[in-house]
Amino acid sequence: MESEKTSRVKVVASGIIPLVLLGAMIFYIFGPGSDLLDFGTPLPNITIERIDFVGSEIHVTVRNTGPIDVSIAQADVNDRIQPAAIEPDRFLARFEAAKVRIPYSWNEAEPYEIGLTVNDGTRFASSVEAAAPALKPSIELVSYFAIIGTYVGIIPVLIGLLWFPFIAKMSQAKYTFFLAVTVGLLIFLGIDTIEEALEISSERLSGAFNGQLLVATVTITSFLALYYVSEKMISRATSHLSKSIAISLMVAVGIGLHNFGEGLAIGAAIGLGEVALSTFLIIGFTIHNTTEGLAIAAPMAKQRLMIGRLAALGMIAGAPAIFGAWFGGFVYSPYAAIIFLGVGAGAIFQVAAAILNWTRKDQKTFSAPMVAGIAVGMIVMYVTSILT
Amino acid sequence: MMISALAVTAIIAALYLAYPAASDANSEEKVFLTHTGAVVRTSGEILDPVYTAQTVEFDPEKYLRDFQYGRVSTMEDGRTLREFTIVARDDQMMEISPGVFYNAWTFNGTVPGPTIRATEGDLIKVHFINNGSKPHTMHFHGIHKAEMDGVFEIVGANGGRFTYEFDADPVGVHLYHCHVMPLEEHISHGLYGVYIVDPKEPRPEADEMVLVLNGFDTDFDMENNFYAANTIPFYYQHHPIQIKKDNLVRVYTVNILEFDQINNFHLHGNLYYYYPTGTYSIPGAYTDMITLSQGERGIMEFTYTYPGKYLFHAHKTEFAEKGWVGLFLVT
Repeated sequence: MESEKTSRVKVVASGIIPLVLLGAMIFYIFGPGSDLLDFGTPLPNITIERIDFVGSEIHVTVRNTGPIDVSIAQADVNDRIQPAAIEPDRFLARFEAAKVRIPYSWNEAEPYEIGLTVNDGTRFASSVEAAAPALKPSIELVSYFAIIGTYVGIIPVLIGLLWFPFIAKMSQAKYTFFLAVTVGLLIFLGIDTIEEALEISSERLSGAFNGQLLVATVTITSFLALYYVSEKMISRATSHLSKSIAISLMVAVGIGLHNFGEGLAIGAAIGLGEVALSTFLIIGFTIHNTTEGLAIAAPMAKQRLMIGRLAALGMIAGAPAIFGAWFGGFVYSPYAAIIFLGVGAGAIFQVAAAILNWTRKDQKTFSAPMVAGIAVGMIVMYVTSILT
Repeated sequence: MMISALAVTAIIAALYLAYPAASDANSEEKVFLTHTGAVVRTSGEILDPVYTAQTVEFDPEKYLRDFQYGRVSTMEDGRTLREFTIVARDDQMMEISPGVFYNAWTFNGTVPGPTIRATEGDLIKVHFINNGSKPHTMHFHGIHKAEMDGVFEIVGANGGRFTYEFDADPVGVHLYHCHVMPLEEHISHGLYGVYIVDPKEPRPEADEMVLVLNGFDTDFDMENNFYAANTIPFYYQHHPIQIKKDNLVRVYTVNILEFDQINNFHLHGNLYYYYPTGTYSIPGAYTDMITLSQGERGIMEFTYTYPGKYLFHAHKTEFAEKGWVGLFLVT
């Protein structure tokens, strides 16, 4: 008993001792009186995260993304000094954010450059291509975004589902081909989503947040989590029928997360005043998303047609576009957007892996219809993606 | 065990990310009237380039009418000797606009350095001490011997000395500045000042002042971030220069602006007689707008008939909006 207790203490101690030593070393290097790292000059860095045009003011959200504390000394519009207010105060500790309010009678659709000067005289600037009034959640706007989300997400997916009877009546080889097309679509969508996340990270997120690694972390974590959950779900499913529904459900969830990202892009484009861009986004996504219905329908195609369930899956896949548009338009945050897109990418790869696993039970993984299908799926997605 | 490790990691990550968003906001709203006349209500602070007396390390109010005549003595031949001591430094941090700190290089601790003033024919001796960490010199515009030009006689750092000796010649408004390479760096950091030579027959009685048109490139991108008349952006807009109506005003103006090709001077509600370089007693122009290249300078004379506030500023409006703007308050 006594020895069991001491051995337990030893185990705990051996776990803690390295941490204590690490702490001591950090204290020695960075602690008071240390001049070990006293070389070079740390330079201030701030990131302008958001620029909103509200009434007769320009609102600028700024974050200290540098290695040292800074204070904001001055604001300018188009490189001309302007008085402004800063809330809560001008002193920004590392990663702290503040809002700068510049009274300015801005003109709609004109480009603006907003600059902030910090205490050492360095000026940081960020540009807006076309000033547009900040979107305030109103019933009209909420329903406008809901309609766009419906056009982009729900309707195309439901149209795609109409391929169900077409797939249902085909031979096993052809069916495998269509499942493989689905896998190709999903691989493409997954890469597309990661690309989108990386783009946001490089355009709107400061390097201090390690946006690329955030994408990798979230994508892999969500892939593993969803893989684990879907394995459980499919292994618990008793019949072949419920297995195929489970896979379709996972496909729908994955595509739903992806469509959330698309809604986000549309909402953010409208919110940032890039209206022409968002028109193309909407047309492109609508055509693109029709193929997603196919992906949901394919795993269930050898079962009896269940219109209710199919429609529900279509909603799961399509409706997140609406939430994405709301989020992107009203409360856009690059950090949250990257996390959502990362989860979406993980989910999509998980689904692709699940379908590959599922078809492998029937035949070799990379049979002729399989290879052809994946290739066709990716090419179709590439061609429709050029439209966006 | 594993689940709890996962949960703890997730919670710490979430708190780490949420922390910056948690701000120490105070909800009390204050109202500010900004220098452009806009009214802002905010619970935070105001960012307005209004220079308050407490934070001024260089006082444009004092500099404006501060003429240094030197330590005066009469030589055996009856001429006046004026001796000056000028100390150069390059280690000072100066708050050139509220909250903006810049490493200014100075003659006698200020940018611009002291205004040196003498009468035509006086002998001037400038005892120059370089207490900076780099070599510096004093190069005076005017007529003097080659070895007094402050170009090739580099004065070493950390206590180097040199005495410049020359006659006050010719009459006019001139300038002095450091002439060590890289020249643009030494001038733009602040090593310059005004040098005035009065004619033997004094100019008519007037309210005299000095306006040095300068700027600062605080982020070293070869473009000025701030412009001013006498160093501090917007200073005379918030602290108008008080002058009397029907009283002759004489402005000695020197353009020392680096990086920009030109500068200019526009006066509201009036025109001035302009004497380029101040060397002739006949004005070269009667205008409200002159254009100056770097190193160009002159004398402006005007009298206001009507009381009130009158702007003067660069009509290159970019410069005006970055601080080169001021007011005359005529009473």
